[in-house]
Amino acid sequence: MNDTKEVKSALTPGSYFFTGNEAAAEGAIAAGCRYYAGYPITPSSEIMERMSQRLKEVAGVFMQMEDEIASICSVVGASWSGSKAMTATSGPGFSLMQEALGYGVFTETPLVLVDIQRAGPCTGQATKVGSGDLMQAKWGSHGDYQIIALSPWSVQEMYDQTIDAFNLAEQYRVPVFVMADEAVGHLRERMDISPLVQIKNRYKKSGAAPFGTEEKDGVPPMPSFGEGESITVTGSTHNEFGVRKTDDPAVHERLVGRINNKILNHRENIIQSESYSLDDAEVIVVAYGFTARSAFFAVDQLRKSGKKAGLLRLKTIWPFADDLISHIGKLGKKLFVPEMNSGQVYGEIRKYADCEVIPYHQTNGRIIHPKDIIAHIERII
Amino acid sequence: MSNVKQVRLIGFGGQGVVLAGTLLAHSAIKDGRWVAGSSAYGAQARGGTARYDVIVAEDPIKFPHMISTDILIAFSQKAYEESLGQLSKENALIIYDDLLVKPETLPGVVQTGVPATDRAIKDLNNKQAANMVMLAAAAVLTGLTSQSSLVKALEENSAPRFLEVNRKALALGQEIGLNIKKI
Repeated sequence: MNDTKEVKSALTPGSYFFTGNEAAAEGAIAAGCRYYAGYPITPSSEIMERMSQRLKEVAGVFMQMEDEIASICSVVGASWSGSKAMTATSGPGFSLMQEALGYGVFTETPLVLVDIQRAGPCTGQATKVGSGDLMQAKWGSHGDYQIIALSPWSVQEMYDQTIDAFNLAEQYRVPVFVMADEAVGHLRERMDISPLVQIKNRYKKSGAAPFGTEEKDGVPPMPSFGEGESITVTGSTHNEFGVRKTDDPAVHERLVGRINNKILNHRENIIQSESYSLDDAEVIVVAYGFTARSAFFAVDQLRKSGKKAGLLRLKTIWPFADDLISHIGKLGKKLFVPEMNSGQVYGEIRKYADCEVIPYHQTNGRIIHPKDIIAHIERII
Repeated sequence: MSNVKQVRLIGFGGQGVVLAGTLLAHSAIKDGRWVAGSSAYGAQARGGTARYDVIVAEDPIKFPHMISTDILIAFSQKAYEESLGQLSKENALIIYDDLLVKPETLPGVVQTGVPATDRAIKDLNNKQAANMVMLAAAAVLTGLTSQSSLVKALEENSAPRFLEVNRKALALGQEIGLNIKKI
């Protein structure tokens, strides 16, 4: 079982005027992160800057690495040494990290990565917004695997979801991504810090197999280097004790099955969403990240003019809310999916929703404004 | 104060518009209000317009960017002129520096001149403090935030060497605001 406890918040409880990036750094510190390795990149750099100051104050370790590949490898190593560890980046850095993220997945390494998405592909527009990294978050590394990806819509949620990300990483021994976008990373607004923070720590059991199959939830205990345990960590297929087994089909199938199922079997506990005014809605906007803020305002305005619109906000992108979307799809309503990409989540919704799904794509490096959502929905209703 | 106020502080680079906007935001939070802020300055604004938008609300803010300007606080003629197109259609209010802005006739818009730069020079011998004079006067005229919260916000965010003059400037702005209100 995980060790779950309430600890005092790292900052004095109260209201603050933070950017999303500052809030993510504070969430990390509150969750117990004591190791950061990274390479600065717009629009995520303020996370790194704040971590460089804050980790000093809590006796943590901050490393500016030579590049993103070294950064994520360093985070994996720090996690195996017993630290809660993170990095933050944006699209080009996220691309460089994909191979080692696969290593993190296969070695079942808890870590947190905050991706402040900018307008891509490639170096694209560094200071402009996008949400085009969602499929990369799911499928960026090779092979069959699962990760967890969250989507904050406010500065408050940058704090809260970064804490959640660490808790989920520790609970499921998996890399967890906070897939924020530039508009949330650079948004500055009030956020509240409560006196206590609930945190989870990885399950430890002396002498147990670190990649074992005995746990009902599929998440074996994780020893750390320096605790006297015999530990072998490899990115090749391995048995319960981490010994390479690169020619045994049963071992490979068991391991790949377990690292997928430990996430998929707990979808109900992992996936979070919020809904507004769904009951009598004729059109439901399905949105996430900053776009959900625009949609929230748009739905409110539409309701004021008598138009029956509702909002379903996805707080978790991966694992995907397939059961929820399937349920919503049976209600006889239309779904409208605005995204700052070419329809990455729209495609997933189409897979599960048995109803009319209308996409709205915007890839110009600007936020989707509420007036655009209002105009489209007025045409639909 | 009505539920949501969208406030634009705007002037030219170097007038301290961003500091004034930031202090307004910090101060309104101290009053228990919800606030979102965004700025345009730096490379894109050097030598040109500097702007800080603050949304102040009694409840959590749905959309954190400005849709239209309910309260315009203008520190320069160019900034004033640039901002008129974004004014809210109803109940818009403009507060301007009366030494630097010549207001146009705008039916249905309440416009109030504040002698911020003039008095900052005459009373404080410090033109740079005009932003704080303007901020405190605007706070009195709009009810966006309290003077006591403004002073606390200043103490937490001002560089120590400017604290004293800024404190005096806030007091001066409050006095000017109260005098205008009496008229």
